[in-house]
Amino acid sequence: MDQLTVTNVAFLVLLVLAAGFFSYNVQRLVRYLGIGTATSRTDHLGTRLRNLVVIGFGQGKILRDPVAGPLHAGVFWGFLVITAGSIEILVQGVVPAFTYASFLPRPVYGLYTLSQEAFAILVLAAVSALLWRRLVVKPKRLQGDGTHQGDAIFILSMIAALMVTLLLMFGFEQVATHGAAPGLRPVGMILAAVFSAVPEGSAHIAFRVNWWIHALLLLVFANYLPYSKHLHVLTSLINTFFSNTSGPGIKGAMRPMDLEAEDVAVFGASDVEHLTWKNLLDGFSCTECGRCTSVCPANLTGKPLSPRKIIVDTRSRLMEKAPLLVGEWGDPTQLTVAEQAGSADHIVPDAIKLRLANTLLDHYITEDELWACTSCRACVTECPVSIDQLDVINELRRNLVLTESRFPKELVPAFEGMERQGNPWAFNPGDRAQWAEGLEILTMAELAARGDKPDVLFWVGCMGSFDDRSKKTTVAFARILKAAKINFAILGQEESCNGDPARRLGNEYLYQILAKQAIETLDRYEVKTIVTSCPHCFHQIGNEFPQLGGNYEVVHHSTYVERLLAAGRVPLADGDGERLVVAYHDSCYLGRYNDVYDAPRETLRRALPVVHLVEPPRTRDRGLCCGAGGGRMFMEEKTGKRINVERTEELLATGAEAIAVACPFCMTMITDGVTARGSSVPVYDIAEIVAGRLAR
Amino acid sequence: MANILVWAESRGGELRKVATEAVTAARALATATGGEVHALLTGAPGIASQAARLGEFGADVVIVVEHAGLALHNPEATTAIVADRVTTGGYRACLLPASAHGKDLAPRVAARLGVGMAADVTTLEFANDAIVARHPVNTGKVVATVSLTATPAIVSIRPGAFTPAPNAKTPRVESVAPVVDPAASRVKTTGMTTGNATKLDLGEAPIIVTGGRGLKAAENFKLVEDLAAAFGNAAVGATRAVTDDGWRPHSDQIGQTGRLVSPDLYIAVGVSGAIQHLAGMRTSKTIVAINKDKEAPIFKVADYGIVGDAFEIVPVLTAAIRVARANH
Repeated sequence: MDQLTVTNVAFLVLLVLAAGFFSYNVQRLVRYLGIGTATSRTDHLGTRLRNLVVIGFGQGKILRDPVAGPLHAGVFWGFLVITAGSIEILVQGVVPAFTYASFLPRPVYGLYTLSQEAFAILVLAAVSALLWRRLVVKPKRLQGDGTHQGDAIFILSMIAALMVTLLLMFGFEQVATHGAAPGLRPVGMILAAVFSAVPEGSAHIAFRVNWWIHALLLLVFANYLPYSKHLHVLTSLINTFFSNTSGPGIKGAMRPMDLEAEDVAVFGASDVEHLTWKNLLDGFSCTECGRCTSVCPANLTGKPLSPRKIIVDTRSRLMEKAPLLVGEWGDPTQLTVAEQAGSADHIVPDAIKLRLANTLLDHYITEDELWACTSCRACVTECPVSIDQLDVINELRRNLVLTESRFPKELVPAFEGMERQGNPWAFNPGDRAQWAEGLEILTMAELAARGDKPDVLFWVGCMGSFDDRSKKTTVAFARILKAAKINFAILGQEESCNGDPARRLGNEYLYQILAKQAIETLDRYEVKTIVTSCPHCFHQIGNEFPQLGGNYEVVHHSTYVERLLAAGRVPLADGDGERLVVAYHDSCYLGRYNDVYDAPRETLRRALPVVHLVEPPRTRDRGLCCGAGGGRMFMEEKTGKRINVERTEELLATGAEAIAVACPFCMTMITDGVTARGSSVPVYDIAEIVAGRLAR
Repeated sequence: MANILVWAESRGGELRKVATEAVTAARALATATGGEVHALLTGAPGIASQAARLGEFGADVVIVVEHAGLALHNPEATTAIVADRVTTGGYRACLLPASAHGKDLAPRVAARLGVGMAADVTTLEFANDAIVARHPVNTGKVVATVSLTATPAIVSIRPGAFTPAPNAKTPRVESVAPVVDPAASRVKTTGMTTGNATKLDLGEAPIIVTGGRGLKAAENFKLVEDLAAAFGNAAVGATRAVTDDGWRPHSDQIGQTGRLVSPDLYIAVGVSGAIQHLAGMRTSKTIVAINKDKEAPIFKVADYGIVGDAFEIVPVLTAAIRVARANH
């Protein structure tokens, strides 16, 4: 082996320093994550690995954007390939004679050199296009929320410089070696032809200069990352692995919460140390691409909420507070004590006081932002690195309600109604089953009295029980069940709100009271299968009741009716019915929460074989919320355009003759939207369309 | 023979209507027991001028406690003054209004004395040596009857539940110094901010006329305003759709997320009756709905329904009300 030259030693020192500094920063950031609360993220390894491969390495979510997606994927995959070459280059800095050629079979090494050249070109092209987007096209989603534009341009330029120096190295190496460098190097050959006038000695120097620039840039790049939003280069794959947003577990189920825990100082989160380490890792993984904010119904209609800002704020606050908590500014317990005691013995610098006095809630994220959320999960679904914006919003809402008792005053009647009357509008619980009068529908109690049990329980829900419009859906669905000769019953007056709106609004306490009551009732009748026409009840009872020990098979009426139709159990009138042009509006809690997209559409097709289904541009998992989710049904919408009007306009623009929904909240919001637009297009629940086709 | 004490609430140096209602309620009790009605008037210096008015409704004695520290709501000092008077005066009962201030005071007094209390009552009578009161619970769905057998009994009476009845007396007026220094209270009311006082408050108006989107445009709200004006004591409400469109301010909104109202008469003009609106007005005593669509859910809760064009019906109704009131 050759003796180490002075240059090699100098590079080795640089390499060790760079690696040391990098390692210091990684440890520092990992320590910061340590201030978060515990969450177990090592279960279901299979699903996690699948997410890592499909969403991470496969760029599954990033490719949802047809323009930026392929460009990013090009850079990402290019980087994976080129990193192999970077290792060779860095080792060569210390051991000049090192080359993969010495141990790789010739054809493999040929492929390796070819891949380096090809991906260098690919990455350079993609980065140039991305720079063009940043500097010239300036898409809206890349702006705002205190995004770091300079940072983005700096990183993109650095990547471009890395690729340019790499390609120049390839070219000058060919000139210097008279084309004798091993492997397949067509790009190097072409560049060599361009540089053919350069003398061999100069070419050698040019190669060395480019090598040094490239190698130093690599070291700078790696060490710049921890100070940049581009930290995602290091964390996003890890984040994707630990994330639960695409499973494992139930999508969108809110975290269980132990209200009896005596050692808990705060409920929910008001600052970064109340969030889990995974929420904090989300902050490291956000590169401010803005896909979340660009699909947020609140943001789209001029509300103050931006899911990206929630995550960027979480990171900013973490970087402000974590150094204090991990002891970078002195013993953290002493600091807090001194600050609280206002002790003269401990002079606390103003900079620290300010950091201690701030909180994530209020100083970074305001109440108005949090209450604007419809919990539609569009942001979570869109995030390419599986960040869970909604989890942070939910925890902050819980803190506002449970710890601070701060919430919009218009929620008081809703909370009181749920608590006292078992429904958010405080209707008389005695009127709950009025819709069923004269329909000969039995209650569980009536069946139990004769020692009988139904096959399924129809959980009607508060809207379906009290809202005049939704009652029509309820009756329509009941008629379908009867026509299909399903042995079903209702709870009647024993049904009560399951607490979902309270939970979404942060009132976990009220939620647990209501949910436990509901579970008690259901268990008393030994209920196994539940069918409901409300996606919110469907999600809550099926996906969140298990947290409180309530385990039932819950089917949404869209799926249930579709199955009945497919099995030929619903007697339909002869003929194909009306040839109607229908736009189906996806409910968030049916779609993004539970992946039910096809059943409602299929139900329509089966009931009306000649139906012409049209889709608005935002549809299925990209569907825009109606505006009523997350408890927004019970709040004012004073800022910006109304979400339901925005959505209704999209639906009307399809030219549909009717709009179909599968959720009572969507029904209210879209109907209001249609009225607001002065349109006469009818809005139907899918059950109504099927019921209208029942054989007489 | 048992005397009844009333805490006579005033605001800005003026007796509130609830004070005369409380005196009326106390008068009925005192008559049944053969006792006297004593009114305790607390306030800034000069409040004594209101004593005569308490006499008009049947107060035999007015005890005046004047102090600059009592000009605004002073729960600590007023509690001490009322509790002291109840004990030293040997009253059978002490009545307070279930107003914002009275709801604060009544339980404080009861707790201070360690005696029973009935809150927000709508009827009061004296039977078998007990004070029997009724009060609505569960947002008015159930009426509870409570019997207060111990002495003294603290009762807060619901504003508007007792109609002030003149029963002129010339009260003896006693001036008493406060038993505690009102200026030493730990809780100090530094000021009062009043809302829009020029309009009749939706929560207090006996009649509400509400317009919905059926009115088609902001300027058509004149129809509704004219009808309200014809009644003289009616306030104008609006639906969410209307306030969202900016036809009316959000403060006029009646419904789940707006004001929850329960007037004697509720007239809904061009209101379809969405669930969120019904949640705010369903408990009104008499509901009249005017709507073109006979299927509108508002008719399900209405006592009287008129199916037709509001632009034809409302002016006729307005004219009829004007005539009726002029001839009254």
